[in-house]
Formats: sequence, structure tokens, C-alpha cells
Amino acid sequence: MSEYVLKLEGITKEFPGVKALDNVHFDLKAGEIHALMGENGAGKSTFIKVITGVHSPTSGEIYLNGEQVEFDNPKEAQYMGIAAIYQHVTNYPDLSVTENIFMGHEKIGKWTRRINWKQMHADAKSLLESLGSDLDPKTEMGSLSVAQQQIVEIAKALSSNAKIIIMDEPTAALTHRESEELYKITEQLRDDGVAIIFISHRFEDMYRLADRVTVLRDSQYIGCWDVDKITHDQLIVAMVGREIKQLFPEKQNQLGEEVLRVESLGQIGRFKDISFSLKRGEILGITGLVGAGRSELCQALFGIEPYDEGTVYFEGKKQVIKTPEDAIQLGIGYLPEDRQAQSLILQWEISHNISLSALTSISKKGWLAEKKEREIAKELAEKVDVKTKSIFDPASSLSGGNQQKVAVAKLLTTNVKVLIFDEPTKGVDIGAKSAIYQIIVDLAAAGYGIIMISSEMPEVIGLSDRIAVMCEGRVTRVLDKSNATQEAILEASMSKKVNNSKVG
Amino acid sequence: MTEKNRMNLATISKFREFGLLGFIVLLTIVIQFLNPAFLTLGNLTDLIKNTAILSILALGMMLVLITRGIDLSIGATLALSGMIAALTVSAYPDLHPLLAILIGILVGVVCGVVLGFLVSKVGILPIIASLGLMNAFRGLTFWVGGGEWISAYQMPSSFKNIATSSFLGINTLVIIAIIIFLYFYYFVNNTITGRQIYALGSNPDSAKISGINSHKIYMIVYTMMGGLSGLAGVLWVSKFASAQGNTASGYELTVIAACILGGVSINGGVGKVTGVLLGAVLLGVLDNGLPLIDVSPFWQMGIEGAIILVAVLFNTIVKKTVEKNNRLRRVI
Amino acid sequence: MSTRTINNTQEFSWKRFFLQWEWMLVALIIIIFLINSSISPYFLNYLSISDATMTFLDKAFIVFPMVMIMIMREIDISVGSTVALSSVVMASLYNAGLPMVLAIGACLLVGALCGFFNGFLLVKYRQLSAVIVTLSTMILYRGIAYMILEDQSAGEFPTWFSFFGWGYIGSVPFILVLFVVMAIGAVLLLQKTVFGRRVYAIGSNPTASRFSGVKVDKIKLIVFTLAGLMAAITAIFLTSRMGSTRPNVANMYELDVIAMVALGGISTAGGKGKMLGAILAVFVIGYLQYGLGLINIPAQMLLIIIGVLLIASVTVTNLRVKGKLQKKKSKKKVKKAS
Repeated sequence: MSEYVLKLEGITKEFPGVKALDNVHFDLKAGEIHALMGENGAGKSTFIKVITGVHSPTSGEIYLNGEQVEFDNPKEAQYMGIAAIYQHVTNYPDLSVTENIFMGHEKIGKWTRRINWKQMHADAKSLLESLGSDLDPKTEMGSLSVAQQQIVEIAKALSSNAKIIIMDEPTAALTHRESEELYKITEQLRDDGVAIIFISHRFEDMYRLADRVTVLRDSQYIGCWDVDKITHDQLIVAMVGREIKQLFPEKQNQLGEEVLRVESLGQIGRFKDISFSLKRGEILGITGLVGAGRSELCQALFGIEPYDEGTVYFEGKKQVIKTPEDAIQLGIGYLPEDRQAQSLILQWEISHNISLSALTSISKKGWLAEKKEREIAKELAEKVDVKTKSIFDPASSLSGGNQQKVAVAKLLTTNVKVLIFDEPTKGVDIGAKSAIYQIIVDLAAAGYGIIMISSEMPEVIGLSDRIAVMCEGRVTRVLDKSNATQEAILEASMSKKVNNSKVG
Repeated sequence: MTEKNRMNLATISKFREFGLLGFIVLLTIVIQFLNPAFLTLGNLTDLIKNTAILSILALGMMLVLITRGIDLSIGATLALSGMIAALTVSAYPDLHPLLAILIGILVGVVCGVVLGFLVSKVGILPIIASLGLMNAFRGLTFWVGGGEWISAYQMPSSFKNIATSSFLGINTLVIIAIIIFLYFYYFVNNTITGRQIYALGSNPDSAKISGINSHKIYMIVYTMMGGLSGLAGVLWVSKFASAQGNTASGYELTVIAACILGGVSINGGVGKVTGVLLGAVLLGVLDNGLPLIDVSPFWQMGIEGAIILVAVLFNTIVKKTVEKNNRLRRVI
Repeated sequence: MSTRTINNTQEFSWKRFFLQWEWMLVALIIIIFLINSSISPYFLNYLSISDATMTFLDKAFIVFPMVMIMIMREIDISVGSTVALSSVVMASLYNAGLPMVLAIGACLLVGALCGFFNGFLLVKYRQLSAVIVTLSTMILYRGIAYMILEDQSAGEFPTWFSFFGWGYIGSVPFILVLFVVMAIGAVLLLQKTVFGRRVYAIGSNPTASRFSGVKVDKIKLIVFTLAGLMAAITAIFLTSRMGSTRPNVANMYELDVIAMVALGGISTAGGKGKMLGAILAVFVIGYLQYGLGLINIPAQMLLIIIGVLLIASVTVTNLRVKGKLQKKKSKKKVKKAS
């Protein structure tokens, strides 16, 4: 019997054209919480899929309790006691909690093959109770909050007698209080002898929970440390691979007159009492935990889901924004968080993507002006430096970072004065990241007012002139560049009290 | 906010079913008040007999809709199997009626398998695949029938008796429908395959992770639908004692309407056997009751259409309101 | 910011030109013509070719909006009922003493209203699927037609009204002239205007379209209203050709129209297909029907052929898409190897 319940050695996974994992090591002890960290695209998700049997590695060995194993499909891994809770909750919204827990290993009568509902409901109830939840197992999954669904997912993992549970960004969509609940449950599981792999972007998660941390970067294994033996800065260097300051370009923006002012904006159940102003050439960072209402606020400003109360002044004049067309007409551009779902039409060629928001101006009396469209597309694609040969290539042929550049180019077609970037570097590799930062800084220097939502603190601190921190639907603090520290932001993003004074 | 205060979707669906039941009761009272001949044994038997075939088909359609599919070919499948069964019995009058039923089911199953194959293996969208097959099966029906009708005098009485005979005092059609209803109730609630149908419709991506064989489920669902259409074909021809090329033309839409009234979601994952039965009964009551209270038969379709539309809208509005209320309760 | 130059001129490629689905349909039309003329010596003369269009072009007007609807990932199965309702309204208003011109106006209005109502419900209640909405209104509209006329028929139109169904401009049937004019308009609208581009955008990615400032709701409303209006135009031609109308006219028209659109290469998954394909498909099915009639093959055989043709064409399109993907994959592999 080995010391490790799970050990992976020299795991390499190649996809056509990409090496997603390159000689990665990992080991896991029973009763341990092991954090797996790394930037987006570092290979964490692929690594998890290798462990859970979704992908089989190109080379390398997996040992379970000292014995070498190979998984051909997720069911085999499940059978061996490995369960995963994925980032995007994968459940059946129309079915009951009980069914979600037991899907794939229902309890059936020996001879009749009849589903034994009574026992399943009872088992589900006791599983949930062991996790400290009083959910009714007959409730429909779709009516639960994300946090509750996550608890059900954990119950599901336990129901299959999992000895190893992988949690992929479980706190991403939780509020602070809900995260705290999840921490408690995770610790309880650890104390019961379950080994847990915990993947998270949040440092607080790791410090709070993990015993050890393994870092991946650019598909490679960087190292494994005891959490109390590595400093924060060392960890960041390990994850990013260089000093973080190099990532951010020199800023040369000059603040001009006010272009946008928002007064006590609110949307029922989403955010409330939001006031701020934005000057030309200014970068206003908006941060806070996921679920704090940042995207909702910006989508309301862009008219996707209109605000219910409050006033918006654009260039000093009171305006009403009810639809995206209103916002575009005024001169507000929005770069959505999920570029594949909300911004680009992947199967379309680059030029058509770039021109979509501005078709009215790139046309004559409703007729498409294709020559003009091509010229504008070429000019803008070159301006943001999209790495492609031709504007006729489909957007799907580009890498994540270059797709994001096309999405930015699309915003510049209309006559915008304010640009809202929602998580502009999400899922983008480091090289493209600094290119996108350069674009943002250049745009600010060119006099655009910029609002940037981001969860990544270094990004917010490195780029913003001012930072508004949101928590549970309210702005809890506005920080100046001079006094913006990670600690101050973190504190404000978790405090429920509204505090606009400089001293917390 | 505690969970108990929260009106969730499960309660809505119960509420819906009671609402539907309440509406049927109300309708019954009104019709009975205007024409006491409505709630008589003779008329009720007639009503149930007429609803039997519709409910058999609606149960099959429910499964198809739950997997996010649709089957527009069932009217044609019904006609084809009815026609083939009728041709067979008119050529061999001594054939046991049970065999005739089996032949009908077999034809239906073959039709269903073809559709299931096109949907699951070839990957054609159900609405297009079943539309194509609808044309093809309808054409086949005319072709095998040589464009002629098979009328009552060409069918042996043993065959016509399928629909008129009774067992323990209950009409055979009704017995068949009850058996199928009970089987479906058990199948969708208590077997793994039954639950997998719901899981697949509720979230096809998760179904893959859970190891559910979607090809198999699609095949099962469409084959069952085909088999039930085949059965319904024989029953239909026996009941009306005639088989024609255009038998049950457009009937698929009535069947789908019964499902929608019964609360089956066309977006998949949702639908209950009892709900579908109520939907079919409501259409049956309208069909049977409206003529009794001197509503012109020509008004019937319009009334049915309006009721379906109101039911659909009512459903959506309630859902929307509940979602909004849940949001309002969130304190910030 | 950069020195990179990106190409914005596209070379003309014969291969790409001939790989379009529309050529397949052209080939089908030629084959049908060859078979028809070899079977019947009367087929291949100008008169029968152009006169034949009178028998099948009436429902083809609905094809234009249906193409746009299906490109937007929606569907409208109420169009047949809309034809019936607007036809019945027109005939009964005329029989009630309204001048024919006004009755025709009412017909167009009723059609447009039916379409608008569908669109309105879909836009107002976004969770509703088009199948449910138009299925309900399909029953409702025909139901109203029955309420108006019951089992009667209405007709006795003024003689000039028969011009729509039977008239000629020069030696070309009026319906063909109007269809060709409208077809050119429809091709230009979908392929060459901002409106058309936005229709494709909505079908390819509705969320991204909304985030890009495309007025998704307004466009849907317009297209569904257009579908109703075109159904009314179909009603005028159909009623004129038959000389009278009943509530059960245009039964199953919606399915014929959807079959034509699907055969034309428009995928119900949205965002793909061209107006020209559907227009060619109208003639494929139309001449097939006409040819079978010439050699006394019963109309029912046509059903089988249409059904098989529809499934075969969708299968071929599916395979083509799959084939393309595989090609892409193998290309990537080659790149890596080099």
C-alpha cells in the first residue's frame, strides 16, 4: 500500500496540433486537500479530464493506491471511486434532487429491476443531512440556487462512494457566505478521509483550505509545495512565470472631462444604489467576487437587461438606455464576458464579424456596401493586430486571444466614447493577454473612457486609474490607484457594509 | 429566505394538473347543466372510447417530446398500418384479429425504426425527418391500397369486433388504452430506461457524462411511437370500419396538442403520464360535449385552438411570474 | 499599432463556386426535364413549361419568408391555416357586398395580422417555441375560418378576379411574372441587404446578435408578419384559380412549403442556406408533380418521391458538413507533421 491514494507520473496529452499536457506529475494523500493552480489555459481542465477518464493520456502512468490503472471512460473512473464536480454545474434541471444524486447508479430491485424510490429518497436525505443541508430530496434541481446545486453534486460524489473528489472552481459562482459553507463541507470530507483536489482561481480558497499546492503553467508541471512554505509572491511567479509588472504596459492616458455619470442605479434583485462617474481617458476597474453584480451592472448600462431605477448622464445629458441599440447610438460599446456565445459568430468570416454592429453605417440605404466593409475590416483587424492571413477566414480558426481582438475590433466600428470590457482576458493565454492590455491602454490614451470588469486582481490594480469594488449588488468601496492594494480590494469585496470613505 | 416559502417548479406542475382537472370538471358541469344527456352511461362510454386512441398516441408522443424531438409522421404511420391490416384481413377473412393487430404493430414498428435511425444515426432533425417520412408513408398508403378504400363489407366481422367487443363489460379499446396507460406509468417512473429518457431530454450534455446511450434512447422512443401508431391504426380502421389513403390526416397535430395541454414541454425533459391523459380527456370532452350543447361543429376547432393557446400562454405567464417573484425576494 | 497586413481581397475559386448546393438542384431540374420530355412529347414546348407553373406556384410565395424564418431557427406551421382564413374572409366579405378590391385588401390585412400575432407571441414570451405557438394558431386560424363559413363555400367572384389565377401578361402567366419579380426581390433582400445579413446573424448566434445591437425582436416580428402577408397572396391566387373557397383549402400547405425550403438547403439548425436554393426547390417539386401528372402517375406517388428526396437531400447536406469537418481535422494533423 502506497502513501498516495493517487499518483500520476509523466502525463502527456496531445491533441491534434496541441500539447495540452506535457510531462505532468501529481500525487494525492488520503485526507488531504490539494490545490491545483494555474492560469487559464495552463492545462488544469485537461489534467482533470485525464484523472476522471474523459481523456486517456498519450503517455504517462496513473497509480491508484499504488496499483497502475487505465481508464477508458468516465464510468470506470467513477467505479474506482473518483468523482468530479465540474465548473459548469452539469445536472438535470427538470429532475429531482434524488435522481440527480443517483443518476448512473440507481438503486433497483434485484429481480423486478424496478427503481426503489423509497430507499433512494431516504438515502439522498441522509446524504444531504450528513452535509448539513436540509434540502428536500424531492425538489426539482432547477429550482435550487447554484450553491445548493453544488451541495447536491457533492452528495452525488459521495453516493458513488468516492474516495477522491475533484472540485473544479466550485466557488466561482458563490457568494462569500456560500463559499464559507462549502469550505466547512470540504473540511468535513477531508476529516472523513476523502482526498480532495481543489481547483480555484481564488488565492483565499487555497489559503483557507489546502495543505499542498501544485502549479501548472503552459501545460507543464512547475512544482508542488506545502502551502505554508511558499510565499504569495513566489506562488504568483510560479503561476505566471515572470514578474507580474512586466505584463502591464506603460500608461500614458490623460484624464479629460466627464463622459459618463451614473446615479443610484438599481435593478431588482441584482444590484442597488450604484453611483460613479467616468472621465475621458480614464480606466475604471470594477471588481469583486463573481455574483457580486458586476456583469449585471454593465449589461444594464448597455441596455441588455434595463435598469429599474436611477439615472444615467452621458456627456452631461440625462439619457435613457433601454436596448443595446440605445447604448450603441449614444456611443457605449460592450465587450461581453463570453466572446463565443455573446460576441462572435464563430462560423462567420472575420470581416462580417467586425462589421455586425455597424451595418447601418456600412451600407447605403440598407444595401450592404461590401467593398467598404472589407476596407474597414482590414483596417481594424490590422489596428488590433489580429494574427490571420485574410479577413475571409472564419473566426473559429483563430486562437482565443485573437478572437478577443476581433471582438474588440468590432467595438471600434461604431462611434464609441465609452468602452465596457467584461473580463477581457478570460481564457486568453499570457502572450495575448499583454497584447490586450496594450490595446486597452492605447484606447484610454486615445481618449476613450473605459470600464473594465475583472476578477483578476493584478489586472485591475495594474491597469485601472480608479477601482470600484462590488459586493452582493452594491459598490462597497471606490479606491484610488494610489491606495489600491490586494488586501484592500479583498476586504471590500467581502464586506457587506457600504463604505465610501478612504479608511476602511 | 427559507426553502418552504419558495414556490418552485414542481409545485407549478402539480398546480397545472389540478388546474386542468378543475377545468375539465367545470366544463363537464356546464355541459351537463345545458344538456343532461352528457353524463349518461351511454354517452360517457362513447366519450372514453373516442379518447382511447388519442391517449394511446399521446403517450407515445410524450416520450418523443421529452427527448426534445417531434414526430409528424404518426398520422401517416397510422394510416399505413391500418391499411395493410385491413388489406390482410380482407384477403384472409379467417385471420385471427389478434394477428391483424400484430401486423399493424409490426408495420408501425418498422416505420418507427426508420425514423429513429434517421434521427439518431444520420442526425437529421426530427421535424424534418418525420416530415419527409410523413409524405413517404402517406404515399405508400395510397400505393398499397391502390388508391381505393377498404370498406366495411370487405372486412370480416371478427376484425370489426375489435373495437366494438367488450371484456368484463368494458370496451376492448378502453381496456387496451388502460393497459398501455398503466404500462407507461410504470415504465417512465420506475425503470432506468424510462428515467434516462427524461435525463436525456433535460440535459443531453450531462447525459453523455452520465454514460447514457443517447442513440439507444432515441431508437426506443421512436420505435415505441411507431408501434403505438401501428396499434392505433388497426383500432382506428376497426372502429370506423374503413381504411383510406387519407385516414387520420393531420391527426398528429391533435396528438401534439393533447400533449401540450397536458403540460409536456416541447423543450424536453418535462411531461407526466397523468397530465397527458388529462390533456387527451379535455380534447375528448370538447369533442363530445360541444355538439351536445348545440355548439356548431364548425365552431369546435376554433374553440379548441383558443383553449390550447390560452393554456400555453397561461403556463408561460405563471412561470415568468414565479421566476420574477423569486428574484424580488433576493435581498441586497 | 502593427505592421502586419491582412489580405482583404478574395480570389475567385471555381471549385467553391461549383460546390454549392444550388447546382445540385439545377441538375435535378434538368434530370426531371429530360425524363419528362422523354416520356411525354408534349412536355418540352414553351407553353406547357410556362403554363405548368400556374399549378404549383401559388404556395411558393410563402417560401420567401419561410426561408428567413428557418434561417432564424424558427418555424411557422400556421401558414396553411392563414391561407384558409384570409381566403375565407375575402370571399365572405365580397359575398356580403364589399367591393372586390376592398375584399382583397382585407385578405392581405388578415394575413398580415395572423403573421404579426405569431411574431408578437414569440417576441413577447421568449420561452415559447415557435412550434408550439404556430401549432396553436394553426388550429385557431383554421377554426375561425370554419366559424365564418361553416360547411359552405363562397365564391361567385367578378370575372376580372380570375386574372390572378388564369391571366397572362403577353404569353407568360401572371403568377409566374409576379413570382419571378418577387423572387429577385427576395434574393436581393436576403443576400444583399443589411436586413438579410442580420437575419443570418440571428440564426447563427441570437445572443451575440442582440449584444451587437441587432434588433432581434423587431426583425422577427417583420419576418413573421411577412409570412402572413405572403400567405394572403397565396390565398388570392389559390382562390382565383379555384373560383371559390372553403375553410379546408390549403390543407397541409405548411408542410409542402417547409419541405421545399429544406430541400433548398436551408438547415433548421439556423444560419445556413440561400434564398436561391429554396426557389430552385420550388421548381424541382413543381415540375416533378407536373411531369408525374402528364404520365398519369397518381399524385400520391409524388408524396413518396418528395419525402425521399427531402430526407436524401438533408442526409447529403449532413454528410457534406461532416466531411468538411474531417477534412479540417486532417489538415491540422498534416500541419503538425510538417
